[in-house]
Amino acid sequence: MDVKEPREKAGSDGSELGQTARHMRAAEPYVSAVWKLVGGAVVGVLGGYWLDKKLGTQPWLMLVLSLVGICVGFYGFLREMARLGKRK
Amino acid sequence: MRKAMVLFASLFVATAWASDSSGGHGEGHEPSVPEYILHHVSDTNDFELEVPLSQPIHLGAIPPLRIGNCAPRQTEHGLETPSGWGGLAEGCLDLSVTKHTVMMWLAALLLLGTVLVWSNRDKTKLVPRGTGANLIEMLVLFVRDELAIKNIGKEDGPRYVPYLLTAFFFILFMNLLGLVPWMATATGNLAVTAGLAVCTFIVTQAAGIRAAGLGGYLKHLTGGVHPLLWIIMIPVEVLGLFTKPFALTMRLFANMLAGHIVLFFLIGLIFILGHPAVAVVSVPFAFAIYLLELFVAFVQAYVFTLLSALFIGMAVATGHHHDEHGHAEGGASHDHGKAHA
Repeated sequence: MDVKEPREKAGSDGSELGQTARHMRAAEPYVSAVWKLVGGAVVGVLGGYWLDKKLGTQPWLMLVLSLVGICVGFYGFLREMARLGKRK
Repeated sequence: MRKAMVLFASLFVATAWASDSSGGHGEGHEPSVPEYILHHVSDTNDFELEVPLSQPIHLGAIPPLRIGNCAPRQTEHGLETPSGWGGLAEGCLDLSVTKHTVMMWLAALLLLGTVLVWSNRDKTKLVPRGTGANLIEMLVLFVRDELAIKNIGKEDGPRYVPYLLTAFFFILFMNLLGLVPWMATATGNLAVTAGLAVCTFIVTQAAGIRAAGLGGYLKHLTGGVHPLLWIIMIPVEVLGLFTKPFALTMRLFANMLAGHIVLFFLIGLIFILGHPAVAVVSVPFAFAIYLLELFVAFVQAYVFTLLSALFIGMAVATGHHHDEHGHAEGGASHDHGKAHA
């Protein structure tokens, strides 16, 4: 049951990994970038709606927070893309 | 072989008969086929055996166990005790032992029994002896080499093998138990698959924290943006964490439930079309689907374990990524080229 292989440097790029694992790991930053873009808007709208209901300020907080959410989502997305660009 | 075929065929006929004889469940109300199927795949407090040519035998229900504010309330249908999500909202935690809970206990017992009996605990013998020991060894090696090491990596993979093996065998036993007549499929219950997904979620986060350190893990949750934007970015990242276990929950649940519903509907066709001759077509079809379900039981256990290993591997890889270059943005700290070469 024990796998005692020497720690290989070559393994750090995932050469011993299966094809699915390598593809998933390669795709992960892109998935996370898209999630940031969408999630920012979703969290902004839902958070604003909830706060509006709580404080009775319809519809202002929802409008403001959805704008902020969309902007933060875009910012996160562009940052991730820039980081991926640098990595290449 | 012929004996086995006769046995299988008689089991199907028995099931069909049982569903016919249970027509008189409620006085005057004959349940429709969909109602009957839903009753069979849903979870209840009552463990019943439907024996052909007789009324269902109730094995007795363990009395509901409820914690918190569970006083019966007056509704239009009379006195009702809160349960389920509605009950939880009222502060009533329903911990009753149900049919699926019993199936999980049974699966756990069978799992312990078979693996303890068949595992090669004699360290002096390197080669397992006997069919059972070889079978267990084959499955264990498959999970270790093909799932853990190929998806997590040579270095970190072996650490997560015990969890992956537990998940694999537990799901496999629950799936297979569901195919035994009069038993139930615990994995066809959303609560069970959600519980399993929560276990994977905890292991995944622990693996991420272990690889990146608590600081690196928390830093990753901020998405690397300015602290002023954290109020939006942290909920986004936290929500993102739940997408994977959610997919895990729904996939296993839907696959197991769908297979059983198809099986029941094929048998139910006899009653929908209302002629015994339909059995000539529907019983062989149901038998084929049953054999397919045997395969699906293994595939679903495999896929759950594979996805768990993939998610753990991704968390570990993100952690090591943090290790190597931090989450800093400055171009100077980026030696990605080397690390990924």
